[in-house]
Amino acid sequence: MSYLIEAYAFAVMLLGGFLVYSLVQLRRRS
Amino acid sequence: MTEPEDRRLYALTALALAGMLVAAGMIFLYAPQDALQGPVQRIFYLHVNSAIAAYICFGMVVAGGVAYLWKESVRGDRLARAAATVGLVFTTNAFVMGMIWAKPIWNWDPSKTWDARVTSTAVLWVVYAGYLLVRRFATPGRPAMRLAAVVGIVGFVDVPVVHFSVQWWRTLHPGPVIDAAGGPALPPEMLLAFMVTMVAVLLLAGTLVAIRYRIEARRDELEDRAVAAQLELAASHGSR
Repeated sequence: MSYLIEAYAFAVMLLGGFLVYSLVQLRRRS
Repeated sequence: MTEPEDRRLYALTALALAGMLVAAGMIFLYAPQDALQGPVQRIFYLHVNSAIAAYICFGMVVAGGVAYLWKESVRGDRLARAAATVGLVFTTNAFVMGMIWAKPIWNWDPSKTWDARVTSTAVLWVVYAGYLLVRRFATPGRPAMRLAAVVGIVGFVDVPVVHFSVQWWRTLHPGPVIDAAGGPALPPEMLLAFMVTMVAVLLLAGTLVAIRYRIEARRDELEDRAVAAQLELAASHGSR
């Protein structure tokens, strides 16, 4: 179970982090 | 003030997030537990779909690169820049999730056991990381766009190598499951969860490419303005 949580925690941090980073960049440049 | 195009991007982001929530429900609540591997098999849904999203993003890099080389399309170059970044993120996700999955199932130690899929994916990652480095450090302008287009197109050669590596070499990574000969080797509930996740992941990838494209367009606008201001300044100095 811990490997499953580890894998999805990584995915949420990577994809979510990249989405937030991109939205912040979008907002700064508008 | 938020521009209409930005509002559309925010709406698309909300839709993509809703899609990912539905996918999470399908993965953790709907899909049955694998009898052999147990809960860890649920990594499969996002691992494989991240790889598919990365392949499609790198396909966009090729399309954008070809558009640039053929018609000098700046929009094509911009699409390639946006898609390469998103493709690299999804490659990283597929790669790391795969390694976490491999540990309990194969007790895999990359320093001891070679795997064709892992090696070819690492090469793919390095190729497109190199592409982004070229973009970052080459002097902006037509030569950088041309060089990046060539790197992006040539780098795509590794995508079929990654995809067929499990058939071309005897290796640890399992063979095709979804596009297996004779149809998908999955029970219908798992296949449905997989397809729903695929739609959600592709929507998220498309949203990210659209946002990155908009950021790149603004960056280009600012660079054009800076160049125009410098030319104006030089002209005013010259006329004195």
